[in-house]
Amino acid sequence: METLKILHYLRAINAENIKEWKIELRYKPDFIRQFFEPFVYLFPYFLYGFALLGARNSEHLKSITGISDMFAYTFVGYLIMGFLNTACWAMGASLRKEQWYGTLETIFIAPVPRWVYVAGMALHSTLHQGLIMLIEAIVVVIFFKIFFHIDGIFYSLALLLLMISALYGLGILVAGLTIGLKQWWVISDALSTLINIVTPIAYPLAILPVFLQKISLLLPTTYGVLGIRHFLIGENLSVSIPAIFLRLVLMLVLWIGFGLVIFLIMDRYGRKRGVLSSY
Amino acid sequence: MNVITAEVRKSFKILLAYPIEIIFWIISPLLWTVPLIFQGKAIIGGLRSTAFGNIAGTEEFIPYVLIGAIVSTYMASSVWSMGFALRDETYYGTLEHILSAPVKPVYILLGKALFNSMLSTAYVIIQLLICILIFGLQVTFYKIFPILFFLILLIAGLYGIGFAAAGLTLLVKEAHGLLHLFEYVLFLFSPIRYPVEINPITRTISIFIPLTYALIALRGLLLNIKFDFWKNSLILLGIDLIIIPLGLYIFHWVEMHTKLKGTLSEY
Repeated sequence: METLKILHYLRAINAENIKEWKIELRYKPDFIRQFFEPFVYLFPYFLYGFALLGARNSEHLKSITGISDMFAYTFVGYLIMGFLNTACWAMGASLRKEQWYGTLETIFIAPVPRWVYVAGMALHSTLHQGLIMLIEAIVVVIFFKIFFHIDGIFYSLALLLLMISALYGLGILVAGLTIGLKQWWVISDALSTLINIVTPIAYPLAILPVFLQKISLLLPTTYGVLGIRHFLIGENLSVSIPAIFLRLVLMLVLWIGFGLVIFLIMDRYGRKRGVLSSY
Repeated sequence: MNVITAEVRKSFKILLAYPIEIIFWIISPLLWTVPLIFQGKAIIGGLRSTAFGNIAGTEEFIPYVLIGAIVSTYMASSVWSMGFALRDETYYGTLEHILSAPVKPVYILLGKALFNSMLSTAYVIIQLLICILIFGLQVTFYKIFPILFFLILLIAGLYGIGFAAAGLTLLVKEAHGLLHLFEYVLFLFSPIRYPVEINPITRTISIFIPLTYALIALRGLLLNIKFDFWKNSLILLGIDLIIIPLGLYIFHWVEMHTKLKGTLSEY
């Protein structure tokens, strides 16, 4: 019986994934545009860094991290953070978009739990974002001649998987908050801006003020970026590798649990107060 | 005038329904500069860069990026608020009502532009006050008028782009892609975050963007960097004189086209 139920949910998740691909492919220019977007946000980091240094390599960065190539350092951090979009934007927007289309109530009376719908969006967005990032990685690596440690790829993928799973918790949380607060993009943008500041994307953890360092250690993105950058380009770490894996697993449980609790609370609040259909 | 005033009042009421947006637009542009400040500290080990000074005219990169962020509020407003001005009406289900009212749609658009420019100016003033109080940015009184002069020229040019964006969203419907494209061009090729002279491509394209001249002038005034006042004023004025009629023409053309094709109410 339980197996049947899980299969039923999986079918619903996949249906949501396919529906999203169909909608996105309906607006082809926007679909193509999304493959260019990462470059638009990455290049200012490169150009700004180059303007400051007058060169690509930084002795100061090397003294802190062991890496002098500012492009490689920033690129790896930035690439991994692409999955934050999955959580904050795609999953966060999922319910609000249905409201705009006028299909939220229809979806909410389907015979599956509400989280299944958000999980479908997560699956779709992970696949879509993964494709975008793969293309971005190929172009940047070839164009800027960035070299990775091949033997670190397996561990990097393992860390990436854990980090994405933990970020799903954040996505569920944002989707839940959208039910009550409506303007999802404000929540998504505020959260992603704050996480982008605190996560050591283009700078090491040591550069942050102490209180931000402490907040940073509560985020899965910090461990994802630090660990993957260590495996791929050899960044010196202040946290051991087993500790990174352990903390990511812990965060996965905590973030998913917290996200689900908030989602269920907001769902109940939305139906009790009758704000589900209000704008 | 009544139509424009009514549109401003309506937009204001909608904004007050989402008060969190007001706080977001005040704080966000300033927050976007924080990673750049940390990145600068990480790669040069201080808050001044000689290499940066050679290109940008100032070695201090923090005020440079802060001014870029504040002025980019106008960019975001013209692209996103104006671009979504009519798309939002589609979502609310009120586009047909508005366009069938016995007024020229361009007046409605002007009302939206006026509202957005007033709002953006309020945001910019608060952001400047934050920078003066927290980051120690200095603005002398006699510079306020030239600053306002360049801001007006900038707003006019950007809303010319906004008119075109608002019109084109009626045509292509899913406006995100198009508006992102406008944003990308302005974001990448104007000196918001870095001096465009760093790369020949950014330098060349920046010549055609009004934001470039406004930023050169505003940074010049605020950070005492040498710049040609008249050259920048005249270029901005020239761009405005081309962009505003062009934006209005595109809007008018698209409006006619969608009415003829009967695609106005489509998603």
